[in-house]
Amino acid sequence: MTAKRSNPNSEDLEINVSPLIDMVFILLIFFIVATSFVNEIGISPKHKDSTQTISDSPPLSFELTGSGRIMRNGALIQLSEIAPIVKTSSSGENQSVLVKVYPGARAGLATQVMDRALLGGAKAVKLSPMAR
Amino acid sequence: MSLRRRKLDDERNESINVSPLIDVVFILLIFFIVSATFVSVPGVEIKRPDALTAESLKKNSVLFALSEKDEIFHAGKRVGLEEIPRLIEVASKNRPKPVVIQVDQWADAALMSEMVAKARGNAPSVSIATRKSQ
Repeated sequence: MTAKRSNPNSEDLEINVSPLIDMVFILLIFFIVATSFVNEIGISPKHKDSTQTISDSPPLSFELTGSGRIMRNGALIQLSEIAPIVKTSSSGENQSVLVKVYPGARAGLATQVMDRALLGGAKAVKLSPMAR
Repeated sequence: MSLRRRKLDDERNESINVSPLIDVVFILLIFFIVSATFVSVPGVEIKRPDALTAESLKKNSVLFALSEKDEIFHAGKRVGLEEIPRLIEVASKNRPKPVVIQVDQWADAALMSEMVAKARGNAPSVSIATRKSQ
């Protein structure tokens, strides 16, 4: 008799979970929608750990003209020549490269110059915008 | 057995046990809360330049975009060059965040280098988003 009576009692105490599920689902959907998994790849022109130890020697400099030419000491060079130049002229471990960018040059080319310089072993690549 | 009694029995048997469902949903919820970083994307279509030395960048960073038409975008809005340090300050609050600049390959390189120079003062690192060249 007592056991029978306790059954309906416990049924009354049961919590209605439907609103809880509704709320949790809404939160879940909000976080799914709001989460943006940005996964970029790219190049970092300056390595954080090497900023202090960059050699004092004048950096290798390349010029990027407005017409999209790459110059080194006034001579026209090709994109593929940058990595060997950086590699051969590297003074010690911490070679830094300066790219002088004139207005009109394309960002794609500037990025590729930086990329090639990093490929050649440059520890830091600095872009410097030049006045017109 | 009365009709009413049978109906009650059926209803009781048909009720689904929702506890495992709630467990799973809670786990999903916690996963998404923890992984949510709320990165505000610049919201402009960018044709990234190729790079051979491209490496994975930090996930939780402040994003800027330089479009083909030499316009700077941040969080879906067009912004000026002078606003960049302030925007980085606002986005990083008290913890400095790295900056990633999405540059269109046909954008002006001088403007890109000015953006990098502006961003460098307020960020621990400034990177340029590229894609891996084949």
